[in-house]
Amino acid sequence: MTDPLLSVRNLHVQFNTDEGVVRAVDGVSFDVKRGETVCVVGESGSGKTVACESITRLLPMPPGEIADGEILFDGEDLTDASEKRLESIRGGRIAHVFQNPQSALNPVYPVGAQIVEAIRLHRDVSKQAARDRAIDLLDRVGIPEATARIDDYPHEFSGGMKQRVVIAMALSADPDLLIADEPTTALDVTIQAQILRLLHDLQDEFDMSIVFVTHDLGVVAEIADRVVVMYAGKVMETGSVYDVFDRPSHPYTQALLDCLPGQGESMRPIGGTLPDPKRPPAGCRFHPRCPHATADCRAGDHPEPLTVDAGHEAACVYYGPGYDSSVIRGGSASESRVADGGAAVADPDDGHDSSGGDAR
Amino acid sequence: MSMHWYVARRVAWAVVATYLILTITFGLLAVAPGDGQTAFAFQAATEGGDVDEARETFDEITGRDEPLLTRYSNYMVNMATFNWGWSFTRNQPVMDAIAAAYPYSLMYAVPATLISIVFGYAIGLYSATHQYTLTDYVGTFTAFFGISIPNFWFGIMLILVFAVDLGWLPSYYQTGRGVWTLANAKQLILPVVVLSTGAIAGNMRYSRAEALEYVHADFVKTARAKGANDWRVLVRHIFRPAMVPLMTILVADILGLLFAGAYITEVVFQIPGLGLLSYRAIIQQDTALVMATTLVPVFIAIVGNLVQDIAYTVLDPRIDYGDR
Repeated sequence: MTDPLLSVRNLHVQFNTDEGVVRAVDGVSFDVKRGETVCVVGESGSGKTVACESITRLLPMPPGEIADGEILFDGEDLTDASEKRLESIRGGRIAHVFQNPQSALNPVYPVGAQIVEAIRLHRDVSKQAARDRAIDLLDRVGIPEATARIDDYPHEFSGGMKQRVVIAMALSADPDLLIADEPTTALDVTIQAQILRLLHDLQDEFDMSIVFVTHDLGVVAEIADRVVVMYAGKVMETGSVYDVFDRPSHPYTQALLDCLPGQGESMRPIGGTLPDPKRPPAGCRFHPRCPHATADCRAGDHPEPLTVDAGHEAACVYYGPGYDSSVIRGGSASESRVADGGAAVADPDDGHDSSGGDAR
Repeated sequence: MSMHWYVARRVAWAVVATYLILTITFGLLAVAPGDGQTAFAFQAATEGGDVDEARETFDEITGRDEPLLTRYSNYMVNMATFNWGWSFTRNQPVMDAIAAAYPYSLMYAVPATLISIVFGYAIGLYSATHQYTLTDYVGTFTAFFGISIPNFWFGIMLILVFAVDLGWLPSYYQTGRGVWTLANAKQLILPVVVLSTGAIAGNMRYSRAEALEYVHADFVKTARAKGANDWRVLVRHIFRPAMVPLMTILVADILGLLFAGAYITEVVFQIPGLGLLSYRAIIQQDTALVMATTLVPVFIAIVGNLVQDIAYTVLDPRIDYGDR
């Protein structure tokens, strides 16, 4: 196989604030292959948005800063690309779609003018040609009577329609990579499904890769090829969507899946809260909330990603030497989640910190 | 409803407002005690004329002894035909006095307005996009300094330093130098500086505040994600939406600059513009002239409001003119 389209290596992004340095992204690595959909999942505050906005340096810098790591896009390291170079990549080769379509469009310009602007920023075409293409794009993303609606203003569209306009704008220069940051979170469920389907269809048509940021595991199951699970600025687990859903290998991923209603017998929230990003806990970031935490988890650095299966990694000590990973994985995934998790909580003498999260 | 209908209705309302203001002014003048007759008679007496004759002449000129309704209709016709009365202190029609004074006001007000808008908005936008940096703090400090110092004091201080001590610039305005001469430009420098410092500061604060609302807006992020450069983002995606609220302040600002701050500045620098004309008319009780110099800014305010409302509908597509 060829090199991945995007390869984020050991990315560190921090905010230098008056109260101290916030390490929002603390050593994150993942790859995105051509034509692939990678979902970055995690709770609010896990650093997923910061990581994705760092790729094209959309994140305001300062106060943000890429402290370490590299972002290889088609072989080019974007961390030391000039602002000028990034401007041609943004919208041209890497496009973005954001969470809230209500505010993503400039209220004082017609939608067509905003798409035309995006086209003409990257292509040397006439206004008329750009306008024709804008109509085609609006038509393609499912705006009825695109020719009549191109001169309408954003406030004349519904939320779902606005998101379609934003998607049309993102596609205007045939990007290789689409970074979609919770594009369906602000929409109601029926519209969500339509937008997801649209993105899926467009991905094949435009032959692009998608990085999809979300906290909604239902959406992940729907569209992901591969999943990156983030927690407190770290990657906890990466693998194919089947690996992660059927054989979740990190206690955090398991806890996340247990939060889903209708999975297993009951829905269980994760106890405790996300650690303070200015003073993350020593050892594994998740240990204060982890039912399986051992002494090794509470000291030293966050565990390195360890191979579970081919193409499936988890940053958990249980996959290292001297540990029995079956404690976490069990035999069959869904049963083990219920059985092992329950046993661990019930038995405080087996060396696991069952109450870590709640006791803080 | 169409925009044309909305504009037509706004214009009609402006006409009604003008009519109401003129009527109120007439009513106030009709009941006011000192209507200039005494001052006119006094002036006649000092020049050796007959006092009673002067009173009669005054009544004849102004039509004081006619019935109220006749006076009212005459007044309205005169107003509408720009026959605004006779200034007895200047011995010329009021309109001529205003027409003679106006160019002097414009000579310093136009450059001061342009400078304050360009510099005020430029500094404001820069501060907004560089919020909480050293340059932002310097700009903010300068703005508060500019707002805080009163114009009359600042004007006198500038005269003391640049005219009296250093002798670089003239201390007061002299007419008859030609509009486009270096000498005229030199004597306009201080008034323009005095007027624009306060206005720059005001514009800077407003534009900074308005632009800050949009600097972190999602659509600005969208624009950057499209690959727009900083300048394009600033002008098209931050400044353009911020123009909508700024329009109100801008129009008010131009009016205020022309007719409020200018009063003091004209008196301090002895510029024979509208402000000084009005000031002298008040001191000398030249009723017709006082009325005219007060009504001119009133009319400009009405026109200004009209322009504001029309500008809104052009600038902000979200404004729906159906209900108003």
